Amino acid sequence: MERLIEILEDIQPDVDYKNCEDLIDAHHLDSLAIISLIAELEDEFDVTIPAVEIIPDNFNSAERIMKMIERLQED
Amino acid sequence: MTLESLLLAGKGKSLTSFFSLSYLLVVLPFSVGLYAITPKKWKKYSLLFLSYLFFWLISGSLIVYLFITTLSIHYLAIWIDRLNGQQKLAAAGLGKDERKIVKQEFLTKKRMIVFLGVVIHIGMILVLKYSAFFTTNINTIFKTFGIGITLQIPKYLMPIGISFFTMQALSYIIDVYRGVIKADDNLGRLALFISFFPQIVEGPICRYSQTADQLWNAKQITYKNLSYGAQRILYGALKKYVVADRLNLLVKNVFDQKQEYSGPIVAFAAICYTIQLYMDFSGSMDAVTGTAQIFGITMPENFARPFFSKTISEFWQRWHISLGAWFRDYIFYPVTTSKRMKKITSASRKKIGNHYGPLLAGSVALFCVWFSNGLWHGSAWSYIFFGMYHFVLILTGNMMGPIVKKFNAKFHINPQSAIYKGLQIFRTVILVIIGELFFRAKGLKAGLKLFKKMVTDFSLPDLSKLELGIDKYDLIIVAVVLAIILFVSILNEKGICVRDSLSKKPTAVRWLVFYGLILLIIVCGAYGFGYKPVDPIYAKF
Repeated sequence: MERLIEILEDIQPDVDYKNCEDLIDAHHLDSLAIISLIAELEDEFDVTIPAVEIIPDNFNSAERIMKMIERLQED
Repeated sequence: MTLESLLLAGKGKSLTSFFSLSYLLVVLPFSVGLYAITPKKWKKYSLLFLSYLFFWLISGSLIVYLFITTLSIHYLAIWIDRLNGQQKLAAAGLGKDERKIVKQEFLTKKRMIVFLGVVIHIGMILVLKYSAFFTTNINTIFKTFGIGITLQIPKYLMPIGISFFTMQALSYIIDVYRGVIKADDNLGRLALFISFFPQIVEGPICRYSQTADQLWNAKQITYKNLSYGAQRILYGALKKYVVADRLNLLVKNVFDQKQEYSGPIVAFAAICYTIQLYMDFSGSMDAVTGTAQIFGITMPENFARPFFSKTISEFWQRWHISLGAWFRDYIFYPVTTSKRMKKITSASRKKIGNHYGPLLAGSVALFCVWFSNGLWHGSAWSYIFFGMYHFVLILTGNMMGPIVKKFNAKFHINPQSAIYKGLQIFRTVILVIIGELFFRAKGLKAGLKLFKKMVTDFSLPDLSKLELGIDKYDLIIVAVVLAIILFVSILNEKGICVRDSLSKKPTAVRWLVFYGLILLIIVCGAYGFGYKPVDPIYAKF
């Protein structure tokens, strides 16, 4: 989780990633940030994130992102 | 038009306007009546029957394309589902690495099926909608290079709504492939999802998960749904009859005639066309949503007060939402998350930073989206230009982001202030109006000519000698109704549902508003003598 928050802060600073639950809905992460994030997550966590996973529900909080990564790692 | 001619296959084109008398006085009451008297367990079949009857009336024998689309995606999706089952069996009890190999084998097969589906449907639309455009351009190239070949320009009849139901069909097959939904083994449910009669003409482009089950689990008509649905249709009629159609004559005169108008008149016509398009299309969506609501079905909203947008990017998240979402989910993210693009993003981020790094992949994807968006609207260079115009605007917005941020910080400008936001909205509206000028012009050349006039010829015309097809009373009526719509939009923007608020008012107040609305449409609507019915603008796409 710590590594994930580091990646998020690197891509888009000035957001409270530990508590924020509307990263997409409140436009903290735009489409360019999502493109960066996916490339970084795939390198860091050795997963493949298909386009179908790019929905607000999977990216609205650091916790949701982590859950998606863990699910994809199990697949 | 007589009732007899209306009931002939393919002769009921007037029905494509949800505000035509034939729709409001014949189709809608007949549909609601038939649905209401049908026993509950048969209601879904009555909706399916009504949808196919409607499509047959507006398209005649071209209904065959609807059959091809429905049957092909039905069987292709079942094929994918069977492969999913076989994959599970083959992977059972295997280790992680072996499971990956099995997954890859089946993925290749499933991709081939989706590819087949895309080829069938995009191929069909390419032939029907674009073959004349492509052939004309090939002939121009031949002529330019002195090649003595002239290809015959094909002419095909295209069923109304094909651009909409093809998008729905493709989203279904891709979602089955992605595992978002399971293939539907019930052909009736799938057929109703594709053909539901209010939405097949102008959308919204629904996803299977949004409407298929709602449609098939048909409900009884309730008083609340009936009154809310009727109110929504009336609100749409207000937009269409009192604003959109009243502005039509002026727009036609400036855009379609050879007479040249000065810059201020062109600019005024461009503003009027933007209002006309919004009122026409969002009014139709009100009718679609309202009709669906009468049957107890909640349709996804296709507009979210687009003229409150602060950027072009935001505008397209609020205007024709279902089309934008389709391009985002099936073009933008698949392109940006392809292996090659991800590598480019990773490498470029390290070199040029977090903002500009992903911009390269994002730009390629944006180009694909806006090229498709332009072409989707029609087979003409003006539509491609319209797409490219928005591509450049959004790309510029993305590139300028960090520079504007620095500028604001340096000069202590607060981007959260009301003035700043107001200026952003104003800028976005101006850019949208310029885009719509090219969208409405008869071809790219005409669009460029009109644009040049608008920005170079500032001579004020003698209004008393101008025949624009609109007088000051028209403008006053349009302004009053636009003020009402703006007021409702501001309330909606604040999260207030006007119909819910209204339903809590005393009966007398509710009916006063209801009758006031009807009276406004009857008295101020542009119909009858001197007015030709105006076809819904988006139905031609």
